[in-house]
Parts: sequence; C-alpha cells; structure tokens
Amino acid sequence: MSNQFTNEPLLDMFLFETSQLLEQLEQAIISSEKESDFSDEAINLIFRIMHTIKGSASMMLFDNIARLAHSIEDLFFYIRKEKPSNMDCSSLSDLILEGVDFIKVEVDKIKDNLQADGNANSLIQMIIDHLAQLKQNNQPVSLAITMEDELPLQPKKQQYYIRQVVTQEVEHTNVYKAIIHFEEDCEMENMRAYTVIHNLKDISNEVTYIPANIIDSDESVSIIRRDGFQVVVRTELSTEKMYEFFSQTIFLKDLEFFQLESDYEMNESIVESVKPPFIKESNASIILEAIKETTDHIVHKEHTDRTEKEVIPSNVAQSIISVSVPKLDKLMDLVGEMVIAEAMVIENPDLKGIQLVNFKKAARQLNKITTEIQDMVMSIRMVPLSATFVKMHRVLRDMSKKLEREVTLDIIGEETEVDKNIIEHISDPLMHLVRNSIDHGIESPEERVAAGKSRAGTIILEAKNAGSDVVIIVRDDGKGLNKAKILKKASENDLLYKNEEDMTEKEIFNLILLPGFSTKEAVTEFSGRGVGMDVVRKNIEAVGGTLSVDSIEGRGTVITLKIPLTLAIIDGMNIKVGKSRYTIPTIAIKESFRPKNEDIIQDPDGNEMIMVRGKCYLVKRLHELFKVSTEIKKFSEGIMLMIEQDDQTVCVFADALLGQQQVVVKALPQYIQNFKKMLGLAGCTLLGDGSISLIIDVARLVH
Amino acid sequence: MKRVLIVDDAAFMRMAIRNILVKHDFEVVAEAENGAVALSKYIEMKPDIVTMDITMPEMTGLEALKAIRAIDPEAKIVMVSAMGQEQMVMEAITNGAKSFIVKPFKEDHVVQTLNRV
Repeated sequence: MSNQFTNEPLLDMFLFETSQLLEQLEQAIISSEKESDFSDEAINLIFRIMHTIKGSASMMLFDNIARLAHSIEDLFFYIRKEKPSNMDCSSLSDLILEGVDFIKVEVDKIKDNLQADGNANSLIQMIIDHLAQLKQNNQPVSLAITMEDELPLQPKKQQYYIRQVVTQEVEHTNVYKAIIHFEEDCEMENMRAYTVIHNLKDISNEVTYIPANIIDSDESVSIIRRDGFQVVVRTELSTEKMYEFFSQTIFLKDLEFFQLESDYEMNESIVESVKPPFIKESNASIILEAIKETTDHIVHKEHTDRTEKEVIPSNVAQSIISVSVPKLDKLMDLVGEMVIAEAMVIENPDLKGIQLVNFKKAARQLNKITTEIQDMVMSIRMVPLSATFVKMHRVLRDMSKKLEREVTLDIIGEETEVDKNIIEHISDPLMHLVRNSIDHGIESPEERVAAGKSRAGTIILEAKNAGSDVVIIVRDDGKGLNKAKILKKASENDLLYKNEEDMTEKEIFNLILLPGFSTKEAVTEFSGRGVGMDVVRKNIEAVGGTLSVDSIEGRGTVITLKIPLTLAIIDGMNIKVGKSRYTIPTIAIKESFRPKNEDIIQDPDGNEMIMVRGKCYLVKRLHELFKVSTEIKKFSEGIMLMIEQDDQTVCVFADALLGQQQVVVKALPQYIQNFKKMLGLAGCTLLGDGSISLIIDVARLVH
Repeated sequence: MKRVLIVDDAAFMRMAIRNILVKHDFEVVAEAENGAVALSKYIEMKPDIVTMDITMPEMTGLEALKAIRAIDPEAKIVMVSAMGQEQMVMEAITNGAKSFIVKPFKEDHVVQTLNRV
C-alpha cells in the first residue's frame, strides 16, 4: 500500500499531543479561575505542560511556539517557587488562555499545511511584564534570594581543589593535565565538564580545573567553548588509563593530554573541599526545596492512586496505542467494501435456485465474522463526547465574562460515544448553541433576580443513547423564546409560510431555524458572526441528524439534537420502484402492509391519505416523487411502508420489498450533486447483485 | 544490540527518541511515561540503558534515577534535559546519571551519547 500514513508521524504526534495538552491546560486554568486560586497541583501541571510543549515545539523547529511556551514556563516556575500570595488570578488566566489560543492557532495552521508564522512577541512581552510585576509585588521575599543569587562565591578564583580525607603519598602518583574541547553544538558544556569531574572522583583524590566555577553557566560555558576545559588530576592510574578515560568523554572533539611532574604543585589556591563543591548555597536550597515538593506530591499522589492501581497490571498503558484517523477511515472503507463483496458473493445471481447446503453454512460463518469485524471497527472509531463537552467550559467562561452573566454549566452523560467523524461535525454547532443560550437565553443577574430566579443561570448539556442515535440536549433556564417576537420577525423577513393563527407552537419555534432569521437586533461578538441557527441545523443535518426546539417563555429553552451513531453502515430495507431500487433505513420503518383500495381517502386538495387503525396518514408515492415509470400504480398491487421520524409519520408507496440488508452509505458522486439538487436522497449504496440503490433521506420525506 | 528503556511523559518525545534509536540499531524494550512506571519497567526488562526525562508527573526523572540506582548501582541512565535545567542535570550527575542529552536534540547527539555510556 501507499506510504501516505508513514509520512511525518512525528509531526502528527506533535500536533495530537500538543492539542491534548492544551485542552488539559485550558481546563486547569478555567477551574483554577473559578476557585480564584491556583492550587499547587494546577501550577505544577501548567508548568509541566508548558515545559513539554516547549521541548516538542523546539524539536519540531516551531520557534514561536517554543518561545511562548518557554515564557509561560518561566512565569510558572517563579510562581511554583515563590508562591506569591497576591496573584491576580483573573488577569493571569486571561494571559495564559491568550497564550493557549495562540498556540492553538499555530497548531491549526500546521495541521492545514500552512506556515506557523504567528508572531508571539507582544504576548511574550506581556508575560515577561506580568512576571516582572509579580516579582515586584513580592519584593520582600524575592529580594533576599536575588541578592544571594548575585553574590558571587569566590568570584575570581580560576582553580579548584578537591582533597579527600585520606592523605596521599605523593611519590606513587602521577599528575596529568587534560584540555578537553567539546563539540560545538553539544550544549551545556559546563554540565559536560561537571560530568568529567564527577567521574574523576572515583579515580582521583586531587583534581583542579579551569574554569572553576562551572555551575555559573553563562561565564563558564563561554570559557569552555573558547579555551576548552582544563583539568589537572593526580592519580595512581597509568598514562594509558588516564588517556583512555579522557578520550571516552562524550562529545569530545579534541583532547590535549600531558603528563606533568609528579611534584607539580596543585595547591596554589587550596580551598577546603566541600561536597558537592560548586553549588551556590541558594541554588542548592532551591533544588532541595523543589525535590521535597515533588516528593511530597508523589507521596500524596501515590496514596490516593494506590487503591485503583493495585488492580490494574503495570503494563496497562502499553496496551493502548494511538492510530492515525486516516488509517481508521481507510479501514472503515475497506470493511464497507467487504460487506458489499460479501453480499455480492452470497446473493450472487448465479447461485439462484441451486441447493447449496455447505455453501450456506460457510456463508453464515463468513457473515458472522464480517459482522463482528464491522462492530469492532465501529467501536474503535467511537469517541466519548466528553472532550467536546469540556470545550464548552471555555466558551462559557469567555462569554459570561464579556457579557457579565453568571452561568454554570452542568454536563451529563459525557461518556456517551459517537463516531469520530460525527464528533468533528457537531463540535461547532454545539458551541454555537451554548453561545446562543448565554447570549439570547440567560438574562443578566439583575433581571434574573427580578424574575424570581437564582442569580446564576444554568445551562445543562446532556447526552444519551437512544437506539441507533445519540441525543444531545442543550437546556437553559433563561428567558425562553418569545412567540410574538418570533412571528413579528418572521413576517418582517418574509419567512411565514402559513397563517400565524394556524401555526402550532412547534412550527413557530422552528421558524428560528430558517435562513435569514435572527431575533437579536444588535449583532454581538459571539452569537452574531453571520451564523444563524439555520447553519447549525444544516451542519447537524449534514451528518444525518435532526434538531428540534422547545421552549417555555420565562422558563427556558431546550434544543435537542438527534445524531446517528455512525454514518458509514446502516440497516436498510431495500425496495423496488419500477426498475429503480431504493433503500430506507430500517429504523425509520414502523410497519409495511398491503393497503386495500377502500382505505385510501382523498382530501379536497387531491392529497391521498390512508386510514390505519383510525388514524389518517399522508401517502407519498415514490414513483411520483422520483418520477420513475412503473407498472404498479394500484395500491392493492404494491406495498405501503409507514415511516416515522421526529413524531411525524407518512406512508410511502413502493412496488415491492426486496429485503433487509446492511448497506454501506456512499455519498452521491459530486457530478450528480452538482447536476441536480437531489432532494430526498441521502446517498447511495451497492446491493448484493451489483445494482445501485438510492438511500432515501427520511427526514426530508416526512417534512 | 543495546536494549533501551525510554522514559518521558511526552509521547512525542518518546517517539522522537525511539525513531532515532530504532534507526541506529538499538532495541527499545519499553517506554514509560513517568518515573514510577519507569522503575517497574526497569525491574521487569533490565534494559542496558535508560533515557530519562527530568520533568515528569508522579515521579520526576531525578527521583526515578535515584530509585533505579538504589536497586541497581550499575544502571546506565542518560538524562534528557531542556536548556536551563543545569541544576537538575548536575543533581542527576551527582546521583549517578552517566550523561545527558539536551532538548532539542540532534540525531547524532543521541546516538553518540548512548553509544558511549
């Protein structure tokens, strides 16, 4: 197969992980802001996430992201260390969220194959300023440390000397001098030097080196880069051994190695050995503090986690791998093809009328396995809605802050799963609905109190399974929809399609879903944007879902989305009209029956109706609807299918039923979609005998 | 073939290191996303070399380094550090880390470091 999936998996991983971390970060900030306090845990988390993003971004050469992440990391390093008492949580949250947004935008650019060329300089400056401000406000504590920090410890000394308690007999030892040049771009040369010294401790008791103060990174790094790292060591080991030791230095570019006179005076400026000798006191205490902090954290963490962890084997994490979505899409396609191929084999016209006992057995086995594979692939693609729901917290936070509303968001059933592709399609509409609820639904705190409600409004986001659908409900306790206002607006915009008096409540509410409708006079930053409920509906319908509106004035609004679990494969009933074949999703079919001629009645407009158990249903003849010529026009010769969607029922008249089958939904080819508006068709599929069947869009049919 | 355990909380970094190692004939025997997992993986797999990120949740790289060295003083551990973490690196070297890699790292730096330790 092609290697399209092996292209830049590292970049994919970067994008995936960074997006995930940003989500996590956003949640941490928003919940911290709510409590107007950044807990130690949150600070650690933010620090760590920024650290990770910095590292990954710099590896991928996304410099602007790395620099921004670095500045936030610095800020939280300070906060973690100093725990400033008087932090302004709100402005800090704003700042970090702005940073998150910046990185998100850049990540999106990278995803779209664009240059990540955003300029973060002003934002970085703001973060630096914020840090400076924070430092200034916490002067008394931090001043002492800065002064200590800057206090040079034995500033001019160029040599250092380690003497162990054991006294050495000078006669048996050799003195060597080595000048080590590291490779140019090996980074942290002072730490590389420190490694050498550390390793020397095992074989020698007396070591001097230049520069001595190797921990003072800026200065020592430049000296080592320029002059090399000079070490003089007294040891019992032979010249060969010592040469070998030095030449094993990692990133060694050049080594100058000499043996000195054994009475060489190493102790020109002897200093008592301290262990470890070159840490400045203040730094050491910081490290210790940091370590203590993390240990405390671990102990605490482990304690709480212990109970769950004991049950789970240690390699649980390893048993999960991430797979790229295109691969899954491809797999889904292939399974779809397999289902078709299977039907083509088992229902092959060549086999018609032949007794095939063993074939039938084998076919049943094949069918069982393909069904299982299909279910498995489907379940792999299922993703819980929680990630999408959780995003709404951010929407809520930004909007209630700007519009000065008090709103709480309750999330129910976020573990409900839907197909990955569908999730992508409902994220935006959902966001829009939540925005609408805050902007148009929830009143200001004053209005709410005046109306006898609690100050803070509530938005409930709920998801649940209902058969092969997932139902998502956005419910608010705001002011609800005003019918009179909707009707007025609709008539102004020429959207009324029948008399105001004849319209049911539901029909009035549905007016807001029409293109060109918007009751809000002034377009606000959030709900405006030229996107109305009609776009939301269109997006939902694009994935085969439906949207319904319900409201009680003064009490709130409920918007219900019904979304199919998956798009790819449906249970369908194949029917025949003339020479054409159609498929109706089985889930929509309530019953099928052969009507008697006397059951049919006609209303004054000539519409045909059928009476079933005392109820009247509209009849739609498919051959008329799709303009197909057929012999069967008498009701007593064909078949009637009762189809229900959204509490609306119609009866559809077709020639004959062909049978039930799982069908793979294929989009209609683009040229057909362009050629003609295909109203009432949701797609097409291949049947077992190789013929093409058109899938009927039930929602269109019943409306 | 040297057997390596990669420890990093960022899946990206683990992948980056793994890609390099696999290309240069190392065997990546396991990966761990924090120090605690690293410790149990070390005991289980007994790798020749460990690459150890410093900043991690649950148990930091430094803690894991100490813990691993406590059970196996011969453990060869290479720290993976970011610029600006000199203090941590020094602490790690003092506690027996064999060497370190600085992020963002280059392929040959990783290979050279792991070949030498």
